[in-house]
This record gives sequence, structure tokens and C-alpha cells, in this order.
Amino acid sequence: MTPRAGLAARAHPFTLFVVVAGAAALAFIVPAPAGPLALYALTAVLALITGNAGAVARAALVCLPLWVLLALLHGVGGSFDPRSLTVSREGLAAAAAQGARLGAVATASLVLFAAFDPSRFLDAVAERGWSFHAAYLVVATLQAAPRFRRRAAAILEAQRARGLRTGRGVAGRVRALVPLTAPLVLGMLTEADDRAMALDMRGLGARVARTPLAPLPHRAGDRIARWAIGALVVAGIAWRLLA
Amino acid sequence: MALNLAIGFVVNQLGLPLYLDTVGTVIASALAGPVAGAITGIVSQTVRSLYEGFIWFPFAAVQVLIALLAGFAALRGGFRSVPRSLAWGLVVGALAGALSAVISWFVFKGVTATGVTAVTILLTRLGLTTPQALTASSLGTDLLDKTIVFLLAGAVLRALPERVLGRYPWARRALAR
Repeated sequence: MTPRAGLAARAHPFTLFVVVAGAAALAFIVPAPAGPLALYALTAVLALITGNAGAVARAALVCLPLWVLLALLHGVGGSFDPRSLTVSREGLAAAAAQGARLGAVATASLVLFAAFDPSRFLDAVAERGWSFHAAYLVVATLQAAPRFRRRAAAILEAQRARGLRTGRGVAGRVRALVPLTAPLVLGMLTEADDRAMALDMRGLGARVARTPLAPLPHRAGDRIARWAIGALVVAGIAWRLLA
Repeated sequence: MALNLAIGFVVNQLGLPLYLDTVGTVIASALAGPVAGAITGIVSQTVRSLYEGFIWFPFAAVQVLIALLAGFAALRGGFRSVPRSLAWGLVVGALAGALSAVISWFVFKGVTATGVTAVTILLTRLGLTTPQALTASSLGTDLLDKTIVFLLAGAVLRALPERVLGRYPWARRALAR
């Protein structure tokens, strides 16, 4: 993972998580359909301003099939006969609201992913004194995933070279899963053992306060953003309860 | 954890209409207990959510349920033979499908993975209400998917060398050795 430059990449890692959590909470708090649509538009504009056009496009691609399915599920009624199909305005409005909620959450979280720097995240966790184990698990999995995907591809090629047939109907492909998965699991267990020993030697299991390698600056902008999002969520809940 | 993600790659390469994204969770539960399985499920769902926009994160609850049930299956020797894996897969599939349907309805208003939602839409055209159609499609796909997951996990566990299994006391119980 190579962190990109830009406002989101310079922000404190926790600020980005607060933005995602705030977007997810507000998406379900603000009244539908106008609220979620406005929130999605705001999230997309903020992402574009902070130089994350790629995240906006990726989120739209992730959500596109869901938007179509939501419209078909809630907005179009009737049976298989095309003449019986009916379009419901209320259903389409509900589908648009739900689609906008998903769009806002996907956009905010893909901005987080684009700006996510594992070492800064681990330093932030160490600085705060939170569970280093849990943070390390997430970061190690994130970094290991592409490597294991390459290993899976290599095993697939090797087994095919040894005569494994993977294209004979669904049943044949399901049967092919065992010779592909077993070496993958065995390799992962071996690597997990090696890694556990190396981490143990480096004191990962020690229950002492950790010192961050590169302490992160606590900018006023980060603090203001986090408090503002928290206040918005609380105000939104209060407004919905009282209105 | 990475196994859940790597299996997804293998499934895509084979062009199978399944998720099989809980194989790592089930194997971790069978080797090291339900807590290890639940951590595997939550972390792999978190990482997958980071890649795909966090919209599928609520399904981490399904991963935890499967980890707990796989741990229970391991205690009962659920991976000892193909029929036992099949039976446990069906039980876990039914419960996971029910929980998936509840999450899909309350968080996603009925949409979930593309194939499942396509089945839901077809069932609504046949006259079922959306919650009924969603429950039927989730149960159907999860029964098939989790049964294959348990069969696959059982086959992989039985294929592991004794020296590897010896390091995991839960594996001995899971395979009743």
C-alpha cells in the first residue's frame, strides 16, 4: 500500500475513521430521501476537493449493481409479464435513499482506504495506548492479502500443470477446491508459526506501554473535524427524536 | 484471515457462483477454537470492507455466528467425516442464512450480493413479499454455500499432516482423533 498525498492522507488516521463512522451514522439519521441524497453529494464533493476522485469513481462502481437491484426490488412491481410491470414512485424514492446511504458510506470509506498508511495507524494506536495486537492483526492481514492472492494464483497454476482440471462444470470446479485450498492452508499455517515466533522475539506479547516510532502531530484541524462530526451526529439524533 | 480473502480469489478464478468467504473462519475455529475463529472472521470482514467500501461490514456478525457454531461443531467431532461435515454445514447454513436475511432487510432494505438479490427479485415476481423472498433466497444460498464451506474445511483438515494437527488440540477433537 502506498499512501497518497493530499488532505486525507495528512489527516490523523483516527480522523478518517471518525469521518467514516459519522457518514454511516448520519446516512441512517437524516430524513429520507433528501437527507441521504444530500449526504452522498456532500461526501462525493468533499472527496473530490481533497483529491480523491478515484475513490468517488470506485465507490460508484461498487454501488452501481446495488442501485440497479434496489430500483428493481422496490421501484418496479408486477409479475414476469412485461405488460403487468408497474413503477412505484414511493418505491423508487426508498431505493434512491438506500442507494445514497450506501454511496455515502462507500465513498467515505474508500477515501479512508486510499489515504490509509499502516505505519501511521500503528503509531496512532501505540500513542493512544489501545490494543496493539488488534491493530497489528488488521494491518498484517491488509499487507498479507495481496501476497496470499499471488500464492493462490501460483498454486492454481502449479496444480493445473500437474493435471488438475478446473473447467468441468460446477461440480468439477467445487472438487478442484480441495487440492487448491489444502496447500494454501498448509503454507499459511507454516508462515503464521514463523511470524508468531519472530513477533514473540520482538516483544509483541509484552504488556507494556508502547512508544510510537514517529509520534503523529495533533493538529487543531483534526480535533475540530472529529468534534464537529460527533456534534453533528448527536444533533441529528436529538432532532429526529424531538421532531 | 488472509485465507478468507485468498479463497475468494480462487473462487473467482474457478468461476464458481459461491462466496466461500468463511473457509478461513471455519478452519481457524476448528484448529484454535471459536474465539480465534471469531477474530479471524471480524478481521477478514474488516479488511474486505476496507477494499470494497465498508458497506458489507455489518455481515461481520454472520462471520462471528459461523465461528461460534464451527467451534461447537469441532467440539462434537463435526469434521471427522463427510456426512458429519455435511450435516453441520446444513445447520450452520440455515442459521447463517436467517441472520443474513435479517441484516439484509434492516441495513440494506433487501439487497445483498448480486446473485442473491437477483433470486430475491425473481421470487417477488412470483408473488412473495420482499421479506419472504429475501429470507428464501438467503436461506437457499447460505445452505449451499456453508455446506460446501464445511465440506471443504473438513477435507482440508483431514488432509493436514499429523505433525501440524498435533499443535492444535481443537483439531484433534474436530477430527475425533
